[in-house]
Amino acid sequence: MATSKAPSADPKSSSDVPADQQPQQQKQQTLEEDDEFEDFPVDDWQADDTEATQNQQPQHLWEESWDDDDTTDDFSNQLKEELKKVEASKKR
Amino acid sequence: MEFGPALYQEFGEARKTRDGYRLAKTISPDLPPAQLSNIWKSVNSAGNWKAPRDDDVKAAIKRGLSSSPARLDGIGHKEIKGWVEVYFAYWQTTGILAEVQQTSSWTNAYEQWKVLINALIQGYNGHEFEAWTIPCLYVAGKHLRLFAMQADENTSVNDTSAAAFQDDFDPELQKHQKLEDCARVLNRVFSLCLSDRAPLEESRKWGLYYIINLLFKTYFKLNATGLSKNVLRILTAGRGDMPDFHSFPKSQQVTFKYHEGVLCFLEENYVEAEKHLTEAWNTCHKDAMRNKELILTYLIPCHLITTHTLPTAKLLEPYPRLQKLFLPLCQCIKKGELHKFDLALQEAEDEFVKRRIYLTLERGRDIALRNLLRKVFIAGGFEPVAKEGDKPVRRTRVPVAEFAAGISLGSEEKVDNDEVECLLANMIYKVSRNLPYPRSFCLGRQGSHGCQD
Repeated sequence: MATSKAPSADPKSSSDVPADQQPQQQKQQTLEEDDEFEDFPVDDWQADDTEATQNQQPQHLWEESWDDDDTTDDFSNQLKEELKKVEASKKR
Repeated sequence: MEFGPALYQEFGEARKTRDGYRLAKTISPDLPPAQLSNIWKSVNSAGNWKAPRDDDVKAAIKRGLSSSPARLDGIGHKEIKGWVEVYFAYWQTTGILAEVQQTSSWTNAYEQWKVLINALIQGYNGHEFEAWTIPCLYVAGKHLRLFAMQADENTSVNDTSAAAFQDDFDPELQKHQKLEDCARVLNRVFSLCLSDRAPLEESRKWGLYYIINLLFKTYFKLNATGLSKNVLRILTAGRGDMPDFHSFPKSQQVTFKYHEGVLCFLEENYVEAEKHLTEAWNTCHKDAMRNKELILTYLIPCHLITTHTLPTAKLLEPYPRLQKLFLPLCQCIKKGELHKFDLALQEAEDEFVKRRIYLTLERGRDIALRNLLRKVFIAGGFEPVAKEGDKPVRRTRVPVAEFAAGISLGSEEKVDNDEVECLLANMIYKVSRNLPYPRSFCLGRQGSHGCQD
C-alpha cells in the first residue's frame, strides 16, 4: 500500500511507481484497503500532461441521462406488454 | 546519507543554492534498512566500542556543519544550533527505523520523528531557518503521518486485548491515538506557515497547501470533516495575503481541489463540489489513474445531480472498478427501469455507503422515474387521426393506471393509484420548483411532443 509505506528493502515498491504501472492484482488490493488520495510521483507537470489536454472533446465524456428513445429494448417491450394488459383490463 | 563529510558538504551546497528539496533529501527516512543502519552507525564509526553520548553526537554534528561550505556562506551560530537538533533527531530515528521491521516499534519511530518536526518548528520560530527550507517540513510532516498510522495499526493489533481490561478503554479513541496527535502537530505547522509575515517571495506561506493537504488526509482518516472545514475557513480569511493558488505545484493544486470538492460534496453542495472536482480532474496528471478514479467517484454523482448527465462508456473505459460501481445504476436511470434501479442501489449499498455517495445516488431515482414516465408516455402512441392528412399528435392524456403499471414493472409489489398520483405530484412539484419546466425534467421534447403539465 503506497500511502502507508515505511522504509523497506525495496524502494521500488514505494509511491515512485505510478499506480497504473503496478500489477493489476496489487492495484485491486489497494483499492479495497485504502481510499486515500495518493501522492503524485512528481511535484509539478506541464499543461501537456494534464487530463484537460487529453480530451479535445470533453462533451464526449458525459451523456444526457434522458431521451433514450430506443423503444425496442427489452424493458420497453415489457412495458408495452404491461400497458396492453392495463388496456385490456379496462375494457373488461 | 551517512553522517560525515559528504552529508555536511551536501548541506552546504543545498544551502548555497537555496535548494529546499535537496536539503530535505538529507533528512529523508524513506530508505532501505541497510542504509538506515549505516547512518545510525556512521556517527560511531571511529572504532569506539561503547554507545556514543548524546552530547558527543551533537558536538560532532555541530563540528561537521560548521566546517561545511555553509560556513563560507555565513551561516549563523543560532541556525547551526537549530540544524544540529534536527540532524540529531534524524540520526536517532534512523536507529529505530533500521530495526523496525523486527521490533515493530512504530510508536517509538513516531515519537522520535515528532522530536524532529518539533526541532524544525523551533528552527523557524527561533533559529532563523529561512523559507526556502520548507521542503524539510514536507518530508517531516509526510512521514510523521505515515509513522502515526503505522503506530496505530500496530497498537490495535497488539494491545487491544490487554487494554480492553482497563476501565477507561475507548477502542475508538485508542484506534487513532497517534494520528490524532499527529493532526495537532500538523496544525502547528499549518499555523507556522500561515503566520509568516515576511514578504511573499520569501514566505513560509508557500508551504501552506502541502501542509493543508496533509491535514486533509489526516482529518479524512479521522472522520473529522468539521476540522477540514475549519482549515478552509481560516484559509479563506487569509486569502488576500497569499500567493496565487495557481502558482503552487500542480500536485498540490489537484490534491487540494479534490479534498475541497469532496468536502462540499459531503455537505450536499453539489454545484461547488462539481466546480472543485472538475478543476482537480482537469489539472490532474494524465497517468495518475488511481487519483483520477477517486475524483470521478465523486464527480459522477455530482454530474448526475447538477446536470443530469451520466458518464459515457468512453469515460469509464479505463476504470473497471468505476464501471462496476456505476454502470448498473446508469443503465437503469437511462432506461427508466425503476425497480432494477432500486435493486442495483441495494446491491452495492455497502460500497456506496463506504464512499459516502449512497444518499446522492439515491437521488438518481427521480431521474429514473422521470425517464420511466416518459417511456410510458411514448408507449402511449398517438391520438387517432381526426382528418386525413393531419399530422399525428401524441396522446397527451395518460391514465394513472398506465403509470402505475410502469412503476411496478419488474417488481412483485403493486403500487396503488394514490401512491402513483403522489409520485406524479412530487415530480411536478420538483419540476416547477426552480423553473417552470427545466429542460432536464421536461417529459417531452421540444417540437415533437409538448411538455407534460
